[in-house]
Amino acid sequence: MSLLRRAETCFANQQVNKLLNAFVCPRDEGTLISEHTSNLRDADKRRDRGTSIKESLGKAYLIALIGTPKSAIDGCLIAVKDNICTSEEPTTCASAILKGFHSPYPATVVEKLKHAGALIAGKTNLDEFGMGYTQDGGSLSAGGSSGGSAVAVATGQCDAALGTDTGGSVRLPAAYTGIIGFKPSYGMVSRWGIVAYANSLDTIGILAKDSSMARNIFDAVEGFDSRDPTSIPVSTRSRIAQQLLERKAKQGWGDTPSVRIGVPREYNTAELQPEVRRAWLETLQGLRNQGHTIHMLSLATTKMALSAYYVIAPAEASSNLAKYDGVRYGNKNSASERADNVLFASTRGAGLGEEVKRRILLGSYSLSAAAIDNYFKTAQKVRRLVQRDFNNAFALSHPLLKRQDGSGSEPKVDVILTPTAQSLPPRHSSLKNKASIDSYSVDFLTVPASLAGIPALSLPVSIAGQDGIDQNAPTSVGIQVIAQYGDEEMVFAMARSIESLRDIKQLS
Amino acid sequence: MFVLPCSTGQRLAASTLRSGTTHQWQALRITSLQHQWSTPIPHARSLQTEATQVSHVPFRKQLKDEAKRKRDAQRLDAVRGNTQDTCKNSNDSSSKKWKLTVGLEVHAQLNTERKLFSDAMTSEDCAPNAHVAVFDLAFPGTQPEFQKATLLPALRAALSLDCEIRQRSQFDRKHYYYQDQPAGYQITQYYSPFAVSGNVHVYDHDGIAPEDGRIVNLAIKQIQMEQDTAKSNLQPPSTTLLDFNRVGHPLIEIITHPQIHHPQTAAACVRKIQSILQAVNAVTKGMELGGLRADVNVSVSPQGSEALGQRTEIKNLNSFKAVEHAITAERDRQIAILESGGSIEGETRGWTLGSTETEKLRGKEGEVDYRYMPDPDIAPLIIGQDLIDHIDRTLPKRPDEIIANLMTVCELTMKDAKSLMSLDNGERLDYFDTVRTMWASEKNDPISAPRLSKIVGNWVLHELGGLLNAANVPFSPTIVPPRSMVSILQNLDAKKITGSTAKKLLAMSFDGDERNVNTIIDQANLGLRHLSREEYIMMAQALLDKDPKKVEQIQKGKQLGKLKFFVGQMMRQGSGTIEAQKAEAVLKELLGLK
Repeated sequence: MSLLRRAETCFANQQVNKLLNAFVCPRDEGTLISEHTSNLRDADKRRDRGTSIKESLGKAYLIALIGTPKSAIDGCLIAVKDNICTSEEPTTCASAILKGFHSPYPATVVEKLKHAGALIAGKTNLDEFGMGYTQDGGSLSAGGSSGGSAVAVATGQCDAALGTDTGGSVRLPAAYTGIIGFKPSYGMVSRWGIVAYANSLDTIGILAKDSSMARNIFDAVEGFDSRDPTSIPVSTRSRIAQQLLERKAKQGWGDTPSVRIGVPREYNTAELQPEVRRAWLETLQGLRNQGHTIHMLSLATTKMALSAYYVIAPAEASSNLAKYDGVRYGNKNSASERADNVLFASTRGAGLGEEVKRRILLGSYSLSAAAIDNYFKTAQKVRRLVQRDFNNAFALSHPLLKRQDGSGSEPKVDVILTPTAQSLPPRHSSLKNKASIDSYSVDFLTVPASLAGIPALSLPVSIAGQDGIDQNAPTSVGIQVIAQYGDEEMVFAMARSIESLRDIKQLS
Repeated sequence: MFVLPCSTGQRLAASTLRSGTTHQWQALRITSLQHQWSTPIPHARSLQTEATQVSHVPFRKQLKDEAKRKRDAQRLDAVRGNTQDTCKNSNDSSSKKWKLTVGLEVHAQLNTERKLFSDAMTSEDCAPNAHVAVFDLAFPGTQPEFQKATLLPALRAALSLDCEIRQRSQFDRKHYYYQDQPAGYQITQYYSPFAVSGNVHVYDHDGIAPEDGRIVNLAIKQIQMEQDTAKSNLQPPSTTLLDFNRVGHPLIEIITHPQIHHPQTAAACVRKIQSILQAVNAVTKGMELGGLRADVNVSVSPQGSEALGQRTEIKNLNSFKAVEHAITAERDRQIAILESGGSIEGETRGWTLGSTETEKLRGKEGEVDYRYMPDPDIAPLIIGQDLIDHIDRTLPKRPDEIIANLMTVCELTMKDAKSLMSLDNGERLDYFDTVRTMWASEKNDPISAPRLSKIVGNWVLHELGGLLNAANVPFSPTIVPPRSMVSILQNLDAKKITGSTAKKLLAMSFDGDERNVNTIIDQANLGLRHLSREEYIMMAQALLDKDPKKVEQIQKGKQLGKLKFFVGQMMRQGSGTIEAQKAEAVLKELLGLK
């Protein structure tokens, strides 16, 4: 199928699925076609010529004339979460306080996507500033906060999407909507132009239908960016690449070398739904059949991770969101200042939503002089422990840390496999009655990898449907693949292995 | 350029904004690059001409203030001696029962090319909002980029105040809301500042209170780097314009221990800190031009008590006088409260020039909890020992060293040495050095060098200074070229011209006569013609004969001052040929005086 034809299908899907609210400002089909058609035709030409040139060497002049495909994602239609700055469309973070805000500059990832030939499908919805889990996915929740991006991909409104992942915001909606959600190592992809929620945890995330598309997008957007002070420098990247090459040499160059898969006991919680546990076990079984080995291990601090996350993330959020005062950009409340005369209070009171306010209050409290030792500093210590737990589990050494060998007895593994969420996607109606604190626990299995800054990917594993009982019943469970810092290679390799299980299943 | 009315948010054109171009991640390890840092440190960039005109004012003012203070003290002593003025003494005896303790927080604008966390230029005299990067305006999605070069003046400042530089420091966010603070927080160094444990010596000649004796050793607790805020421009009744050129300009905050016990000493300490920072070229400009601000912590406790009293903080004092007067007023306020049985509230207060009392800004209950948080985007700052060593080695001389040199090597008085050092942003001192070395190298007699320096000091400071004051023009090293100054002094020293001729020649050169000094002397026939002893006697006798009345007053009335009258007469008659000392000797001889 030509790129143009594929894109037109997406445009049509955008119209059909308007009610799902995936895009902040949905546009009609005609506008989309007229905006993208000529670019898509060019991309199609590049793809055709690229193929024909490969077939008939010697026609080098044609390369100069039309060019080969700019990248593996040349001509792909990619949606962008609305907390990522673009210069053409507004960037609102789905917040009233930024309604109509046009960023004067685009995010590095958006520039990189365009440079690779990708087309921006539009800006996708999110929970305000990335805080929350309430995206509309029909009768089932799509999860959040990158729910708009996940829904857009799952319903074929684009080829793939960018989201952001702070504590699971890409992996959870991917698990709920049955697609791939990938969070790279912290610092691999530039955050310049990503509206900060919690800087020390925020990463760009990628949502796609399969792992090879996710990988292609990752290849296009990763890389050092001098504008992001936490971007991993070129020298460290080549050190990591060297490390991976050495491992590969040790493992042998076969197609599917045997991999040591870790299964952390702490992730097998009492709250795990039976369908989830079954899918996890079946996947492990299938992988063992492929020749990989399974190793139980312990990540003792897992239980503390969620609490630490809900101290650190709101603390950073309370600081990052202090800039929204309506003075230089965004919206100022027209009502006169409040009676208590607190500066900017009426603007912030009117412009920020309930969940955002709740987290600002939470964060402000944990940073206050009376509470910081008890909360913020303790949470940072827990974060170190979580990081150390992971580090001790992996065979590959952490390229940024000195190894602190806690226990030599535990087996070292190449990758860790867990469920992404403890339950299947909840029904929308059930969420409405839930206290917001209860909803925080959906992050339980995703937050540890965020605190450790290591790469993690959720991919769908199909579950046997109870034939015809409920058309809307979930058909897959998200399985999470976690690897050592910088070892995106292993994450994608494992994802392909699991995808091949599915392919075998479908064949049989 | 854009001016942002505070009342409406407004979309900014991308063209007016600049985002960073050169960046570096990871612990910002800064090491010395010999070729880069060894170039001479430029003089304060901004406001060169304005600064020249204004910056010597505070010093003159200081001398004047000191003189006035002495006079007042004498007058007060006189009053006390004559009348037992109990009313006047009540306040005084109160302050004797109480001990004042003051600590300082001095904020100084560093002399840097770029802002602390963006590569926008630092500038204040440009059109409003001409130098603003997206990060400076806290645009969503922007990140800080530490500008390494801003560390250099900060290190000069810290080393000149004898601080210990910490190899690892970090940046924290200090949260509070104000329209001049775009991010809702200021990036500063709270948990781990880059410099600690400094020291500054403040002497009697620096203007400390007489009660403090000869010297005060003020210990510096820490120095931190931080961002400046935007400038608010109030347009009554309801508009505030914001100029973001200043936002993000690097500052240092110098925090002293509470070790000052007299208001006058506090002002002297701030002045001393400023003069040190200026001498090592760490700051843009002095307090009088807004380059320095001080907050003071004030408490009083009963004399003899170890514990300090409850302190209050007075913020944003922007002159030395304000520092002194605000502390005096706050001390008296606290004593009055304590003596009437009250207690002091820990609060933040303000003071405006000309007022007699500090005013409450906010009480303890309104105190801001700044919620300090390590900035998650900024890596720790690692400063290499080689850089510290290099800056230390190449640090310009500090005021105390310069003054000591001028007094010992050049035999200047303390007062002249201080004037020379503090005038014209150091340009007068440079001029002095040029003239002094030129003359000394031509004379080639090391033994006479101190004597020559003393003469040069006198002429550069007082003779040239007098002409500058009379003409009301700023100093420039080219008004009287060093060559001309040297020639004039050489002729004078060789007794080829008289002192008054030398002054005349200086005035001619000052007024733009570009001829060679020796040529002028020849052409105008100004050279000293040596009269014989007989000629002196003849002239003197003739004058004495003309005025027997004065002769009698001198001989019988012992009014020796009248002798000067005759010396003057001889000088006038001899028009440049009479040497005053010879004339006086001859007159004395004729009048039979010893």
